[in-house]
Amino acid sequence: MPSKNTLPPKENALFKRILKCYEQKQYRNGLKFSKQILTNPKFSEHGETLAMKGLTLNCLGRKEEAYDYVRRGLRNDLQSHVCWHVYGLLQRSDRKYDEAIKCYRNALRWDKDNLQILRDLSLLQIQMRDLEGYKETRYQLLALRPGQRASWIGYAMAFHLLKEFDMALKIVEAFRNTQTPKTMDYEHGELLLYQNLLLRESGKMQEALDHLEKFDSQIVDRLTVSETRGEIYLKLGRYKDAAVIYTDLINRNPENWDYFKGLESATKPETEEIRWKLYTDVESRFPRASAPKRIPLNFTTGDLFRCLVDKYLRNGFHKGVPPLFITLKTVYQDKSKIAVIQELCLGYVESLRDNALFNAADENCEKEPPTALLWVYYYLAQHYDYIGNAQQALHYIDTAIQHTPLLIELYVLKAKLYKHAGDIEEAVRLIDEGQSLDTADRYINSKCAKYMLRANMIQEAADMCSKFTREGVSATDNLNEMQCMWFQTECAAAYQRLGKWGEALKKCHEVDRHFTEIIEDQFDFHTYCMRKMTLRAYVGLLRLEDVLRRHPFYFKAAKIAIEIYLHLHDHPLSDNDADKLFDADNLTPSEMKKLKNKQRKQQKKLEKEKEKQKELEKKDHTNKKQQDQDQDGPKEEELVPEKLAKAENPLDQAIKFLKPLQLLAPERIKTHICAYEIYSRKDKLLLMLQSLKRGCQVDRDNPQLHIYYLRFHILVKQRKSAGTLPESVIKVLDIEMEKLYGNKDSTTLNDEFLSRNQNSVLHRASAARMMYELNPDPNSQAKALQLATAVNSDLSGVSPKNCRDVLEFMCRGDLGKCEAETLSYQEQCHKLFPHVPSFHIPSSQSEQIVTNGNMWS
Amino acid sequence: MSAEDETPTVNDDDSSNKGKKSAKYDSGAADLEKVTDYVEEAEISHQDIGEAIRVANDENNAKSVAKKEKEKELSKVKISKEDVDLIIHEMEIPRNLAERKLQEHKGNVVEALIALTN
Repeated sequence: MPSKNTLPPKENALFKRILKCYEQKQYRNGLKFSKQILTNPKFSEHGETLAMKGLTLNCLGRKEEAYDYVRRGLRNDLQSHVCWHVYGLLQRSDRKYDEAIKCYRNALRWDKDNLQILRDLSLLQIQMRDLEGYKETRYQLLALRPGQRASWIGYAMAFHLLKEFDMALKIVEAFRNTQTPKTMDYEHGELLLYQNLLLRESGKMQEALDHLEKFDSQIVDRLTVSETRGEIYLKLGRYKDAAVIYTDLINRNPENWDYFKGLESATKPETEEIRWKLYTDVESRFPRASAPKRIPLNFTTGDLFRCLVDKYLRNGFHKGVPPLFITLKTVYQDKSKIAVIQELCLGYVESLRDNALFNAADENCEKEPPTALLWVYYYLAQHYDYIGNAQQALHYIDTAIQHTPLLIELYVLKAKLYKHAGDIEEAVRLIDEGQSLDTADRYINSKCAKYMLRANMIQEAADMCSKFTREGVSATDNLNEMQCMWFQTECAAAYQRLGKWGEALKKCHEVDRHFTEIIEDQFDFHTYCMRKMTLRAYVGLLRLEDVLRRHPFYFKAAKIAIEIYLHLHDHPLSDNDADKLFDADNLTPSEMKKLKNKQRKQQKKLEKEKEKQKELEKKDHTNKKQQDQDQDGPKEEELVPEKLAKAENPLDQAIKFLKPLQLLAPERIKTHICAYEIYSRKDKLLLMLQSLKRGCQVDRDNPQLHIYYLRFHILVKQRKSAGTLPESVIKVLDIEMEKLYGNKDSTTLNDEFLSRNQNSVLHRASAARMMYELNPDPNSQAKALQLATAVNSDLSGVSPKNCRDVLEFMCRGDLGKCEAETLSYQEQCHKLFPHVPSFHIPSSQSEQIVTNGNMWS
Repeated sequence: MSAEDETPTVNDDDSSNKGKKSAKYDSGAADLEKVTDYVEEAEISHQDIGEAIRVANDENNAKSVAKKEKEKELSKVKISKEDVDLIIHEMEIPRNLAERKLQEHKGNVVEALIALTN
């Protein structure tokens, strides 16, 4: 033992038992033994025992005492690797990995070849992606334990992750040479496939192929061998060989689209006809396969497309395939194809109605079942919804419901149509009706909850979910525990719309924590994957974790959090301030009223719910306590909405959410828009410049970015003339502004932007806003208003959402005072989108318009 | 089987730590560990190891020498504290990163700032 403070045999035996107890999680016994040592006055300050006592206490959840004991133990025996190791483990359990690494390093100073500490250190290093450090530690492990394969694999992996392929390959090869594979040795096969992956990643395709051929018989995963072979042949340009492989793969699984793609790349069909023949060949071999029927619809044109899609649709309607439209959605990128499909479907409707046949001319055919007509109606409703014709879509869904009044799919779709048309309340009513038809169906239950959240009915949504969540716990808590992020992001958005900033932030932070949790969960795989030889999957996992916060759920939560923190920066909550209505002044009076009513109701419900909750909690208390003890990782600070809403430095909080987006989602324009918003409030010119430059790279003509683009132009001019900027900042700005703006003035830039995007509603609105902002005189106001409020059919982007945005700009005063124009714009929009509440003008006249509701032209 | 010979001596030494190790994998992971833990057969001969390790060493040394040289070169670049402070203030980045950027651009603060706005 390394310590100078060695215990006599009896005590030493006790100490060993403490370790054993710790290992076997008999913490209470462990404490007993440590007491036996420590009560002896001779050893009451024995460092290692104190440290172990601390570590044991930590496992019992007595964090503060744990730190006290461990630190005291360490002070008493600074040269003990055990004390340092224990301190490291304690820090690690609190996820203070940097600190833990330091402790391990200290421990190694006193026992440099301690395998266990080296292993623990290497785990932390890979977790923290300290790849250089990882490499060194793995090297030491290999030198100490060359007999273990994990040593070799770990060392090779370190080089692989550092992209030093040659070294990685050398080490894997040296290791492989020592192995004698058994028959059907899966792990050995995996090792070979990992070696092959290394070869391919280093670009050595020919070597990879040779490798694959040489060891073919030793690899158990045959599918991967074939897939890899196909990929390599394609890369090497050996198309004939690739074609053979991909044909085999298709015979193995005729539904995998990638194989067809591989086959096409290998055979390079020159004409549509030849290309199509690839698929008919497969179809003749596998008449029931759907991929060879579906894929040709993507590339065929003209009469051939018509003929194929006709067959495809008839088959779907005949069998009654509900997701038929979804399978065809990608075809809708081609306008001419949309027209063909529409024509065919309308033809079916007529003929099925009269003759129960898809085509009146098919007299010899068997009659179609009555459901065929129903599915055509269902399809047409989705079709018209997709192309933006709400009126027709509603017509067909109503016809379908008349035909079969109790089919759940129809209610789901009708709800969706109303949602798209802008009337979320009606959508909720409908989906709830659908939901009531089958309360045991979790899909529609979740859908219903989601719609409720869209309608800001948060409590109702939670109640809906509670039908499927664990009993005895509130649904929201259970959904959080289950990391149910669709619910939480939607919930955050609902709270945001209601102006409940604290609650919304709580949800955003919960989502953020899920991502932290997922990254933490990696830890177990560092040892597991090495041992089980699942190396390809392991590398894949590491790479996934590196970009985890790229996920749309994180993006949504981060966006909401940033927006709220910005709002809280602009309008901090005072002590007696309750959460206020969001954008209260942007809402029409009727909306206000509705919102307020809803809030009042919700408040009442919430209070009731809270009472219930309290009772439940009491019951649950003992239960929960036990759970907490089992939890690994530190106990996180509780998220209290009121505290979150009163954050001291909201901008710093916002930046915390922004950073991962900048790193992982730079391709999304909203990232840079958020960044600009934050940094403009911090008055950081160069960071604003950074956001603009990055934004321009993504989408130079983004309407929102355009506004910042011009404002920054003006701001820089003002700042420079104020003369307070440091010289080097001025130099940077001069160089970069020249690149970004040329030497043009703002008005010219705005005009150019407009002429580039004349036909888009949102772009016109942006140009109009800047037009007025640059020259707030009646003349340009009139021009701006005209520009922003046009909704004729030549324009693109005339949608409920975009028009609502424009209306908001007008209400907010971005285009100056313009009540009359706003009202008339609202009327115009109401005619176009009769279901959107914001366009609804509460007068007796317009009430009538709603009830007649036949305004689409 | 020299590797096997090594085992007992090392083992003795770290038996005290072994306890800690498996215990820190709480709950499920610990069980997993037990299920999958098996003794490795030491089947790699000395010669092979020597060869591989030699390769690894050489490479390691060459790399670290090159890297150190680069670091040295960088650290030679004189930078002014004012410039570093300006970068920190404007770009809100940690000091070591600001210093590094400035050194990479040979102490030219304008160039460093432009690079940082990219």
